[in-house]
Amino acid sequence: MSIILSALQYLGYILIFPGFLFCFLGGMLLCGIDRKIVAKMQKRVGPPVLQPFYDFFKLCGKETIVPAAAAKTTFLMAPLVGLAALVVIQLFIPVFHFSAFSGMADIIVILYLLLIPALSIIIGGAASGSPYAGVGLSREMVTVIACELPLVLVLLAVAKTVGSALGTGLCFSLTEIAAYQAANGSLILRASMIPAALAFLLVIPGETGNHPFDAAEAETEICEGMLAEYSGPPLAVYKLSHAIKMLTLTSLFVALFLGGIGGKIVNILALLGLTGGAAGALGVLLGAVVLFLLCALITIVCISLVHAATARLKIEQIFKYYWTVVSALALMSLVLAWYGL
Amino acid sequence: MFKKLIAESAAKSPWLFHINAGSCNGCDIELVSVLTPRYDAERLGFKLAGSPRHADIVVVTGPVTTQSLPRVLRAISQVPEPRCIVTMGSCPQSGNVFRGSYSVAGPLSKYVHVDVDVAGCAPKPEAVIDGLALATKILKEKRGR
Ligand code: SF4
Repeated sequence: MSIILSALQYLGYILIFPGFLFCFLGGMLLCGIDRKIVAKMQKRVGPPVLQPFYDFFKLCGKETIVPAAAAKTTFLMAPLVGLAALVVIQLFIPVFHFSAFSGMADIIVILYLLLIPALSIIIGGAASGSPYAGVGLSREMVTVIACELPLVLVLLAVAKTVGSALGTGLCFSLTEIAAYQAANGSLILRASMIPAALAFLLVIPGETGNHPFDAAEAETEICEGMLAEYSGPPLAVYKLSHAIKMLTLTSLFVALFLGGIGGKIVNILALLGLTGGAAGALGVLLGAVVLFLLCALITIVCISLVHAATARLKIEQIFKYYWTVVSALALMSLVLAWYGL
Repeated sequence: MFKKLIAESAAKSPWLFHINAGSCNGCDIELVSVLTPRYDAERLGFKLAGSPRHADIVVVTGPVTTQSLPRVLRAISQVPEPRCIVTMGSCPQSGNVFRGSYSVAGPLSKYVHVDVDVAGCAPKPEAVIDGLALATKILKEKRGR
């Protein structure tokens, strides 16, 4: 009996929260908010916030064309692999106190899983047999490599800070990082972590392929690059993956740097005199809402504002930017953390 | 219910693909002005797609020269169904000032089914938005079938 119950519970985690349904709704809403804010900054009315949902369902109803030169199975399966990887990452990221599967994986697993969506789009593009996709995928690979170095440095800095506070050297477990922050306040409040947080914020638009760093999907030059041959439902899945990636990276930022807020939520519940199972469920719900609001805030700051204020960079500029400015910021934090500041 | 959702969404998220079939560039600039902050067609969900595979509405400008005709037809055939073809300006409708030239193969309606014609040289952005809105209605009908 209890086995069935826990199986049902895990199924709920995977399908509803923090799994597929939460990713779908949250990612699409983030995408809509992003488009609205960009429009506002350009003095436009802008599309409705629900526009990504309309786009998604419209694409689901379109014909799927498989080009004659494409490798059919790979071409159609690649988007699904990327989507699945993103949902799995979301399961591993703790929502403040609540964590579905966080005990089973640490930051390093997430780092590897984060590569899979980019790889899936590269493989799908390569399978489509289009020369535009060829140009796009070489640019995508460069972007991925460019973002990887600062991302690893940021994660190392966080792991070292928490690890030396706990006396375990390097701490890669997300649950421990969340617990540490709930007890000792958010990491972003430490002076030594501010450069790392900044670097992470700058990595987010590069990882998601949002505006100034979207050389790989430049629609005016190379026909949207790797997506050039996609149409219908597979394209819808790619658009969804892009939206979920925004949610995943911003919620990773919340988990790494703003984790202290979860403790406050539970304190509010305790103040209201709620305990037991109801408080637990309410805490998770409240945590989800707060997580989404924080994600929306971070999206506005590091994706929308940057999008509206800049023009697209060339691929070598992207590479240089990430390996100098952003990496230097992350390295600064790492050095400070190493000396225990 | 799912079908209805898709039909509703089809009218709310039309993506445009623009083909220049020998236009004088007047219409092309007017089409871009439709997407600028002043007229902001994105509020209705319009978006300029980079690849014909992503598009719902094909906007053709220019008198369809003999050189561009095979490319235009090929690009249109790459657009997945349901799709809508809109001609913009008097050129693809009648040939306009280029009519009778040895290098003009148009009008476009000789070769493909055209859903909406927006006349004018160049048409005003308001007229273009009107024509595109009509095209979204046709898209929804096609989807509903
Ligand atoms: S209709 Fe007029 S403005 Fe448009 S392409 Fe023809 S000549 Fe140029």
